[in-house]
Amino acid sequence: MKKLLTFVLLISVALFTINCGGKQPKAKMSDIPEWYLNPPQAEDAIYQAGDAVKTSMALAKDAADARARDAIARTIELRVTNMMKDFMQQSGLGEDSEALEFTSNVSKQVANTVLKGCRIVKREMKVEGNSYHAYSLAEYNLNSLVEETLNEARRQKALYNEAKANMNFEELEREIEKLKSVGQ
Amino acid sequence: MKFRILTVVLVIGLQNLMYSQEYIPSWFEELPEVTGVRLAVGYSGKFTNEFSAKSTAVQLARKNMAKQISIRLKFDVEELADGRLRLLNPSFKEFYEGAVLNAIESNSTVVDSAITTDGYFVLLAFPAVEYFSLPDAGDKTWSVRPDWIENLPEEDGYVYGIGMVARYSNWVRAWQDADEYARFDLGKNLQIEAESIHAVQRDNRTTIESVILKQSYDLTIEGATIVARWLDTANGVYYSLCRAPKP
Repeated sequence: MKKLLTFVLLISVALFTINCGGKQPKAKMSDIPEWYLNPPQAEDAIYQAGDAVKTSMALAKDAADARARDAIARTIELRVTNMMKDFMQQSGLGEDSEALEFTSNVSKQVANTVLKGCRIVKREMKVEGNSYHAYSLAEYNLNSLVEETLNEARRQKALYNEAKANMNFEELEREIEKLKSVGQ
Repeated sequence: MKFRILTVVLVIGLQNLMYSQEYIPSWFEELPEVTGVRLAVGYSGKFTNEFSAKSTAVQLARKNMAKQISIRLKFDVEELADGRLRLLNPSFKEFYEGAVLNAIESNSTVVDSAITTDGYFVLLAFPAVEYFSLPDAGDKTWSVRPDWIENLPEEDGYVYGIGMVARYSNWVRAWQDADEYARFDLGKNLQIEAESIHAVQRDNRTTIESVILKQSYDLTIEGATIVARWLDTANGVYYSLCRAPKP
């Protein structure tokens, strides 16, 4: 009986020690995937990484994926904004408030519009204490971006034309096509 | 004496937890491809009798088949972060046709089944077939860790998704959830709407980033099939791979 009590006591102490083992361990640098620190660079695609720490593996994966895709969406917005601003300035409309709004609308809509074919191409899961640390790498093909931008610019064109009837959208489409040629 | 018995019981229990589902039918790990016939897997845990186990496994296989034919998936995830805490709220909803399920019930056959120490497995074919031969069918142990866990497969005309779950005490529930997560993951790789607002506050000492992130999709996918599964027996992690033809 004495042995049994000692055994139960030892097990309890062991479990207590494991469960309250101090602070949550942080990720070691050697554990962090290389592609997370330095996402790949490509001419025809955008890569962005995301990570998340959760006690549930499925949640950690979902959160890391969502953050990687969000980073892609933000990169897209920036790229489209720059592209549109360049075009507007070349057209002599750069300082026009309506032109700026048009640029902003197209960029935001493209970024907020459905990300087609934005895939998680690499993923790693590390155990850190009681939690899972998920790392995800998202890839987005630039050809999809070109299509989205063209479609959105055409959609916004109708609204913008009410204010600027003489704007030449063929030039804008040519500018966007330049990006397409980079992606091929 | 009691001490010894207790120790033996504890050791056996821990072994069962660590190495549960050691043997599986080959088609459970990798679904064979047969032209003209759709295949889906069903499984159930331990039952008091074989009939109940088989019946439960067949029902699950029929549901999996219905989802494979056509499934509407609604997913959204919201994340709110204010610099101190992050709240993540994912939502998963799926719909499949009752009429499709009825058609499967009336025109499908179990082409193979297996009983292991853990449960009952069935392989369902739709439409029903009279003769069916499976190459290399039989019970096996899990293969080595497949590459698709870290690197999503790339194949022209197909899109893939991965589901992964861990720390489940019930393996049937674990596989069901891994399969569902794989389907939803596939949807995300097809198309997803993404919106977010980021605000950064900086002072001399700290940087606080507040984020509101929202992503969602509502898609009907045809042919989403769980083509492979893998169990990390050492760590109790369940992986499912789902594949569908690109629309």
